Amino acid sequence: MSDTDVKDDRKYSKDHEWIKVEGDLVVVGITDFAQNSLHEITFVEISEVGTVLEANSECGLVESMKASSDIFSPVGGEIVEVNKELEDAPEIVNEDPYGKGWMFKLKPSNLDADLAGLMDAAAYKEFIESL
Amino acid sequence: MNDDLKRTHLYDWHVKHGDVIPFAGWEMPVRYSDIREEHMTVRNTVGIFDTSHMFRFIIKGPQAQVFLQTLTTNNVSKLKVNEGHYTTCLNELGGTRDDLTLYRVGEDEYIWITNASNGPKIHSHLMKHSTTFDVEVIDKSREITMIAVQGPMAIQLIQKIADRNIRDYSRFSCYRVKLLGYDCYLCRTGYTGEDGVEILVLDTPFNDEGKKKAISFWDQLLKQGEEFGVKPCGLGARDSTRLEAGLVLYGHELDEETSPIEAKIPYAVKFKVEPHYIGYDVVKQHKDEDGIRKTRIGLVMIDRGIPREQYPVSFNGVEIGVVSSGGLSPILDKGIALAYVKPGSVNIGDTVEIDIKGRMRKAEVTKWPFYDPNIYGASRNQ
Repeated sequence: MSDTDVKDDRKYSKDHEWIKVEGDLVVVGITDFAQNSLHEITFVEISEVGTVLEANSECGLVESMKASSDIFSPVGGEIVEVNKELEDAPEIVNEDPYGKGWMFKLKPSNLDADLAGLMDAAAYKEFIESL
Repeated sequence: MNDDLKRTHLYDWHVKHGDVIPFAGWEMPVRYSDIREEHMTVRNTVGIFDTSHMFRFIIKGPQAQVFLQTLTTNNVSKLKVNEGHYTTCLNELGGTRDDLTLYRVGEDEYIWITNASNGPKIHSHLMKHSTTFDVEVIDKSREITMIAVQGPMAIQLIQKIADRNIRDYSRFSCYRVKLLGYDCYLCRTGYTGEDGVEILVLDTPFNDEGKKKAISFWDQLLKQGEEFGVKPCGLGARDSTRLEAGLVLYGHELDEETSPIEAKIPYAVKFKVEPHYIGYDVVKQHKDEDGIRKTRIGLVMIDRGIPREQYPVSFNGVEIGVVSSGGLSPILDKGIALAYVKPGSVNIGDTVEIDIKGRMRKAEVTKWPFYDPNIYGASRNQ
């Protein structure tokens, strides 16, 4: 797993999503480890803007040539933007999972409590080593 | 290493070059590069697949034909030496024990090629019934390597490495030939919708020497195929090509509760046969549209989304069935599926809804293959 990229500037869930706080919003995507195990991502669908989510609830799905996987939101809040680029070019998630491959932004409802349940980069690295 | 999982002769090569996963009790390569790339290689040039996880039984003896007719649904008496066909093996209730290809390779000698997942079950079934016939059943699975060579350039590649003219061998023929100097059975069959062959490389026992021989054959095939654009292909492309061609996969479109008539593979089932095979009466009824519980249809997504196995299918708000296999068609760049629905509930051209994890998405009922057969597949315009 030494070639798996983990960024220091964000937090991680056990479902292999990352979150990054940007001002009063939170950006969510899937990790390099996740995109690599899914391989060829062919389709991404995220719940509509305006959807209110609880932390760790299902809010979309990612399809690869192999299988379908659910996306969970690691933090609770309201979806304010969905990455429209992924509709026509889902492969961006494979190419740039931490950058252009972001999936959605939300306005968190209980950020501090939700953050406490997530891993930092070091802990996530350890977690994927253990898999 | 998981001791419960079996490996083919080519395992060492797969581990070195591909992504190996557990499949039906085997450790098999799901891909070497990208599934879509391998898929398109099969559609546009030629791909090679290790299919040695399938089971290969030799059935021989004076009563081989009558024995096989007792157990399989196609007309065994029609097979001449060097001919084969696609057929099914049923249970007493007309459900499918397995689908298989059967080749007649001698006056009283046949090869039965069956699914990996069903190998042990079929072996016991054959052994049990063989006791009342003058026939011998030999499991050759571990002594024969099996490789599929599929795509529009497959025949050119095989001609290049064969010791005789093989171009005119017809679909489903099976001849003993030398390829690259190796003693092989060459069968003009496949599971991708494309023209191509399945090769049985004989005398490759499952030991160091046999494995070396098998890997050497595979390597040389890749080398000789370079000029045709050959690529090794994994189980991912094997599944996506068969789905796009509308071919059934045991465990998805076929099982012990599904008859071949319900699965819409009537060409595997004949009725003017003697003796009547196990399950004959039930499939005869199904043929006469009596007692059919479900029927197989093809679906192409109209809305965005990828249909997957077990997703419910509805028509006019009423649930009519369920998806049996689904995925992305690289040719159409759309989600496609095979599904089982109530007989007569929909027609080609109808719009149904697939419940994709709570989101109702539209799909059109279509024929298979899902690609345009004038452009892709074995009967494409040359």
